[in-house]
Amino acid sequence: MKINLPSSLRAGASTGAGTPDPAEPPTTPLVEPVVPPPVAAPAATGAGLWSVEPEVSAGAGGPTTAVVGQVLPMYFVGDESHSMAGDPISAVNQGLIDLRDEVAKHPLIGKKVRFGIITFAETAQTRLELSELSEDLVLPTLSPRGRGTSYASALEALRQTIPADVALLKSGGYQVHRPSVFFLSDGLPTEKAEKWQARLAELKDPSFRERPNILAFGVGEADPEVIGQLASSPRYGFMMASGASTAGAIAEFAASMLNSMVASAERLDRGDHTIEFEKPEGFVQLDAPLV
Amino acid sequence: MTAAGRPAPVRRRVRLARGPVTIGEAAASVEPRLASAEPYRPDTIADGGTAFGLTVRAASVRGLWKRYTGGPRQDDICLRLHADSGTLIAAVADGVSGAPRSDLGAALAVRYATAAVARFLDRGPGSIDWAAVFEQAAWALVEEHRRASGDGDAGVEEASRLMATTLLVATVSGSDVEVAAVGDSPAFVLAGKEYDALVGEPQRVDGFIGGGVDALPRSAGSVSVARGSLEGGAVLLLCTDGLAMPLAGGTGEVGRTLARELARPPDVVDFARLLDFSRSTYDDDRSLVAVWGSGRP
Repeated sequence: MKINLPSSLRAGASTGAGTPDPAEPPTTPLVEPVVPPPVAAPAATGAGLWSVEPEVSAGAGGPTTAVVGQVLPMYFVGDESHSMAGDPISAVNQGLIDLRDEVAKHPLIGKKVRFGIITFAETAQTRLELSELSEDLVLPTLSPRGRGTSYASALEALRQTIPADVALLKSGGYQVHRPSVFFLSDGLPTEKAEKWQARLAELKDPSFRERPNILAFGVGEADPEVIGQLASSPRYGFMMASGASTAGAIAEFAASMLNSMVASAERLDRGDHTIEFEKPEGFVQLDAPLV
Repeated sequence: MTAAGRPAPVRRRVRLARGPVTIGEAAASVEPRLASAEPYRPDTIADGGTAFGLTVRAASVRGLWKRYTGGPRQDDICLRLHADSGTLIAAVADGVSGAPRSDLGAALAVRYATAAVARFLDRGPGSIDWAAVFEQAAWALVEEHRRASGDGDAGVEEASRLMATTLLVATVSGSDVEVAAVGDSPAFVLAGKEYDALVGEPQRVDGFIGGGVDALPRSAGSVSVARGSLEGGAVLLLCTDGLAMPLAGGTGEVGRTLARELARPPDVVDFARLLDFSRSTYDDDRSLVAVWGSGRP
């Protein structure tokens, strides 16, 4: 299932026509829909283990606040600048395919996680709207584009996308866990530091309710200090170990993102972890000062 | 016709209704793997009966995720009777999943806490020192950790990393209810369709689920205590967040289903089966103790 996004965010294609939009207010009156009075059935004793009574409210018509499930939104924000050409971008694409396939094999994760992809070069693009990771999910193929590496555009895209996605999930009856972002870059931002830092400050602002957990990963020529600043906590900043291959490091990163998804989905019910993550092989954890 | 001339009874095959009770969209069906925890942790426990004019049902069921991975149930429950005061003592604990032996932590916490309450009741009515009850339960975890690790100097922090668990304890005497809790395992009084939370309101930070949980032994000092009444046919519910999350305050399908089915006490095994309902995205362990007062319809 893909969640329904506002048409302004949709890449096109399916309109989901025919299925009721969970975000729409119900047209039926919101009276308590379950009719049978609780004491009406003493005669039911001995009528089999369980008799399934039709619940009048089944499906549409229930109160809009009725909870239907819980989800953890996760975003991959990936560098699509020219320096990623060749093996690095191939490693990203393969990592995303493996991620989808592994999640699809698991009976329980898919329903609990929603995954979105935003890429950036000189501009940011939403390449995958927040979606369920099922085997038939069509993934975008990332390829180097444009000139420049604009962190600001990627951070701004997150600042816009996340609140809209969360609101939509909530209106669909989901209990939502704080979103997580996996940010991967192989180079330095090509814009002025003040520009992307201002966008980052907005995204991390404590008054921004939907501020995500940001895990930042630097490969290739990325600057450890910059990567450290992006991370929402010092322990969430990671830099490829010197001498490692960029493509190899990206493969490890993707595997860790999958592991994080599994571990976080497992502990979703438990309120004691916002995100589960272990350092990928071939990376060093940055003990970065918070911005 | 039988020899006595009466019509032969219609022969009906005895059939077992298979599969879980589904509320809303079903969760995936999973063949459970046996847990290999030591000591033995059965997938499901169910208990129930009457005492002192009260009717109680209690169950703890392993979550779907742990059934899939073969992990042990990390929730636990315990019931205890205090005859002299006519008091039912009940406890529910939810082992923190990040702590590798929280199954043991939960099992110890409910047993030591109910025993501690009974010792206070021995001294006479109105004498439960809840802070001391939770302190004693927490200490049991530290002692177990010292014994198992062979480190006689191990303290609260080490035991917390290994065996952290929430704890909710209640006493019911007549229609008087007292509950005390550390962590997010909530207690409700269910009257008709209304769920009145006594302790353990879920954490919400910026409108998101989650945001940290207090647990024994580390947070033994932060005990919340509340009182309630079972007059008018109300039911006391003690549960873990594996149920509280899908219950979501009781206003949705899960809340309506439970309110309807718990209007009267179900049979013990039916109660466990109800608790083990299938609902997509909710795969944590669930525990529930329900107590009906003497005035129940």
